Amino acid sequence: MFELRFFEIYRSEEYIYLLLEGILTSSALTIAAGLIGFIFAFCLAALRYWKVPLFGLIAACYVDFIRNTPLIVQLFFFTFGLPALIGYIWPFWAHALLALSVNFSGYFAEILRSGYASTEKGQLEAAAALNLNRLTTFLKIILPQTIIKMFPSLSSQFIFIFLTTGVISEIGVTDLTHAGIFIDSRTFRSFEVFITLSIIYVMLAITFKAILEIVFKSSLGKRN
Amino acid sequence: MEVISVLFGQPYGVIIGQLIMACKYTIYLSLIAFIGGSLFGGFITFLRIIPNKFLNFIGYSYTWLFQSLPLLMLLFILGLGAPQILGLNIDPWVAATMALVIFTSAYLAEVWRGAITAIPQSQWEASRALNLSFIQTMRLIILPQAVKYSVAPTISFLIQIIKGTSLCYIIGFQDLMLIGKRWANSPVPGSEPYIIFPAMAVLYFFMCYPLALLAKYIEHKTLLKTS
Repeated sequence: MFELRFFEIYRSEEYIYLLLEGILTSSALTIAAGLIGFIFAFCLAALRYWKVPLFGLIAACYVDFIRNTPLIVQLFFFTFGLPALIGYIWPFWAHALLALSVNFSGYFAEILRSGYASTEKGQLEAAAALNLNRLTTFLKIILPQTIIKMFPSLSSQFIFIFLTTGVISEIGVTDLTHAGIFIDSRTFRSFEVFITLSIIYVMLAITFKAILEIVFKSSLGKRN
Repeated sequence: MEVISVLFGQPYGVIIGQLIMACKYTIYLSLIAFIGGSLFGGFITFLRIIPNKFLNFIGYSYTWLFQSLPLLMLLFILGLGAPQILGLNIDPWVAATMALVIFTSAYLAEVWRGAITAIPQSQWEASRALNLSFIQTMRLIILPQAVKYSVAPTISFLIQIIKGTSLCYIIGFQDLMLIGKRWANSPVPGSEPYIIFPAMAVLYFFMCYPLALLAKYIEHKTLLKTS
């Protein structure tokens, strides 16, 4: 009835090379965007936690807006809209990095905020009794507990966004999905190509999950 | 339609009118995916909680696999791969719906199973002591409690579905995303990318944010009741 011809993909060195390059680009961009997004989210959540006048409100609106719009619209805006408006030229991967960082920051900020808010009152009272100032309380008491408590949410959000990064191929970044679309256009074996890509994505997701677990256990988990 | 063109003038009225009309398809697709995904997700949840190791394993594998698989890959396999291997035409509607139903069912099954396992074990034991069957226990004891906890996360997931439909334009599904992108690429003055994409973001925001508020409200209410 029909035949599967996976060998058309893996017998060609060029395709294997493209796929490996794609894996590298996808992973590197996701990790970089995750780190940048986390730092940004940390600031946003702090603004909201301290209820900084005006900036706290802006941070809240920003987070809500990012969380309620699709990544691909944000990506197109940062790639085609903003450069046309302000007038700068970046390589494609930089636009993708910017859009992904912004997306990550919105989701992480919400997770961190709910973590800050759920810090036990007793902890804050104890910190006040020890005469710790607000910054020390935040950095030494609230933040470590939040990260430990929220690590599972943060890591599953990271995996979820990693799985949506395929859309950056739409603006021409040579990521894993882009490699797949290219091979598909050469071989016309769509089914085999996208099954292969799916397997690679699933394996990458498992690898990320395992690495995050190890990082958590070896650094933060010891405190518990 | 005419009201909008009068309100905003040319060419903005036409563009905004078209974008709003295109939202219709985004909403239809989201609703179909949500209903189909709920039915199928309910079935998967059932597989995961009945006392049968083999069916549990099938349910677990299903949720695990489709939670680790990007929605984009599902769309490519169903929208481009399946027509090629089977040698027939698959309508973008069908491919998009199937991909979103699979995606939705995997995540909803996980949410609902979580809500059911959150019910204390003692409830099950008490039902056993009352000699209730598995179905009776589910229907009378467990589900009424679990539903309360799962309403808010289910509504939140509806937001993920609406955002997920924005990917369907890649396989040629005509929704807000496709119409918007077409306008952004057109040389018509007034449809520059920095106007169209924020406008689309605002439209998506108006579809998603009410749901986010509703989810937050329900979550708040259930928390108040239990504590």
